Amino acid sequence: MTSHLGMMIVFAACVAAVFGALLRDAPRDQVRVGARIFSALVIGAYLVGWLLYLLFR
Amino acid sequence: MRASPKADAFVPVPDRSGVVLACVAAWMIPGAAHLLRGQRRKGLVFFFVLLLMDGLGVWLGGRLFPFDVHEPLVALAAASEWMMGAPRLIASMSGIGQGAVTAVTYEYGNTFLICAGLLNTLVVLDAFDIASGRKSA
Repeated sequence: MTSHLGMMIVFAACVAAVFGALLRDAPRDQVRVGARIFSALVIGAYLVGWLLYLLFR
Repeated sequence: MRASPKADAFVPVPDRSGVVLACVAAWMIPGAAHLLRGQRRKGLVFFFVLLLMDGLGVWLGGRLFPFDVHEPLVALAAASEWMMGAPRLIASMSGIGQGAVTAVTYEYGNTFLICAGLLNTLVVLDAFDIASGRKSA
């Protein structure tokens, strides 16, 4: 639970839920935007992590 | 001279006390303003998710920063944490959130605490927009 990846996923889920509810009114749109933000945060962090690893190893 | 159609249009005048009340409610209890406006789903999402983030932040050993003008980043962190309103007030009164600097999860905790406050700032601004008529409820 307290691994870096686990915390990042929990954090991304929380941020995505709040932004989804803030940015859209219809429940279906809220879920869609939230899922998109969640994916962007997790995939983005994963890609940046690999990029930094490859650049500075 | 005939007035333009735009000038004839009805422009609702926002109730200032209602706007202030909505902002204070949203600041003190995350999601309260949306619940009061009848946006039940949004209000519950804001309430539970932001309280979860704040609770996780404290549980992970994050620190509730004091206002320290000599340390600008600490002051900014304190300002964002205070945007959580009542949960921050209760936490400081009960003496939790001292911060475990040696804990591995210390920075994770700080991130959760600070971001919960910043997200609640956006919720307060949304409540302001709805209460002042800039955004439809």
